[in-house]
Formats: sequence, C-alpha cells, structure tokens
Amino acid sequence: MGDIAFLLLIFFVILARAVDDSHLQWEPANAEEVEQAGASRASVVIDGDSRLHLNGKEIPSDQLSSALEALLGSTPPGKRTVLLKVDHEVTAKFFEPAIEAISMAGGDLVHILEYEGEAPR
Amino acid sequence: MKMKRRKLLVEPPTMAAPDIAFILIVFFLVCASVQPETGRKQDIPRSEKSEEPSEQSKNVEVSLSAQSILVDGAIVPSEQLEKKMRQLLAGKESESDRVVIVKSSDETPYQLWIDATTRIEKAGGIITLQLEQEQRVMVN
Repeated sequence: MGDIAFLLLIFFVILARAVDDSHLQWEPANAEEVEQAGASRASVVIDGDSRLHLNGKEIPSDQLSSALEALLGSTPPGKRTVLLKVDHEVTAKFFEPAIEAISMAGGDLVHILEYEGEAPR
Repeated sequence: MKMKRRKLLVEPPTMAAPDIAFILIVFFLVCASVQPETGRKQDIPRSEKSEEPSEQSKNVEVSLSAQSILVDGAIVPSEQLEKKMRQLLAGKESESDRVVIVKSSDETPYQLWIDATTRIEKAGGIITLQLEQEQRVMVN
C-alpha cells in the first residue's frame, strides 16, 4: 500500500513540474519595496536566454496575448493576476512585448521582484 | 569496571519504514511549494495603435536606454528622476494628465526599467508604454 502511494506521489510530482516554471533559470530584478504576489491565473517567464514561457512552456511572443486570453477566459476583474518573471538582464526588446500582451489580454500584471536586502537567488 | 549496556525493550518495526518515508516526502514537498513570491503590481492601460501621430502631447515623455534617462528630452540622473517627475506632475489632478509615456530602446535592461517605472509611479505618474512599431516597405 505504501509503495503504491509512493509511486502515485512521484507521478503527480512529475506531472506538476511539467505545468509549473520552477525548472526555468532566471534571476529576478531587485526592488526597494515589494509585496506578496498572491494567487495567480498564469505565469509568464522570460529566462536568462530571453526565451518566453507561459506556465512553464515555451511560447512564441506573438501568441502570448491570445494564449493568455484563453487562460483568463471570463475570470472577473481582480482575479486575473498574471505573474511576470523576467531575468534582470533581459532587454526591453523582449519584455515590453510581453507586458503589452498581458495588458491586451486584460491581465492584472504583477512583476515578480526580489527585495533589495536579500542576496540574489 | 565493566559497564553493562541495557538493551532496548522495543525495536522500531521495519514495516513502518515506507510510511515514514512517505510522510517525510510529503513534508518536504509542502515546505518546498510554500515559498511566497514577492513583487509589484503595475496597471498599464491597454495601448491603442494609431496610424497617424497624435498632435503635440501634453504628457510627460520618459525615454530609457541602457546609458541614460531622458525626461522630455533632457538627461536626468536616475536618483533625481522621482523629484523631477514630482515637479512635472505637480498640479495635475486628472488621470489623463498624469499619464507618463515611457519609451525604451531595445537594449534597456529590465532592472533599469523597473527602477525608473517605480520612481515614476511613486511620483504619481501612470505608466503607458510606447512600443516602436515595425514597418515593412515592399520595394519591387
């Protein structure tokens, strides 16, 4: 019984990792003031190689807005939080279109930043 | 003098080992997944693409590049940006007047962009992005 539970747990952990973005490599920008991001509907990551990901999967930048619209659906305002995780060295050429796409999809943008007092990840 | 070692009366049952391992895994998974994320909310109005450039705008324009910050064409050191923006936005009550147009060159790093937009918002500005539009001209 214990073995079956253990295998099931491993299966669900692997399944969850395919959806989340913890495997992506990025270093957050610093900020003097930060607040808790809270629950989100979607997570957009631009990693250190300037590659765009939506909920852990790589996506072309021109498809981000429509993909976000589909994810957010008819979620009421205030619950349409989209986390934007951008590596601190990524340039505007890559992050501004992502911000634009989140805005176009009607998402509530939250930049994920690190409090300046902490050491970088 | 020889010390006699006392034997344990109850040995831990080996049958319980998988259950203990399972509980430990669940414990570490829960610990790992409850890492709160911190950040900053930003309201960016939906952009409207206009074909023709609008008439002379009254809004403050901030141009960002990797080397400098320009406010209405004049270079402003980043640490003085908030003060400068407060001066420019003083007396502007309506939201439309407090809109600040942010133009970034392609090579502007995210850290600099975050620092600048944070200072503009602290000064009461409402950020609007102006993206450069690509224009393709076909030549026969």
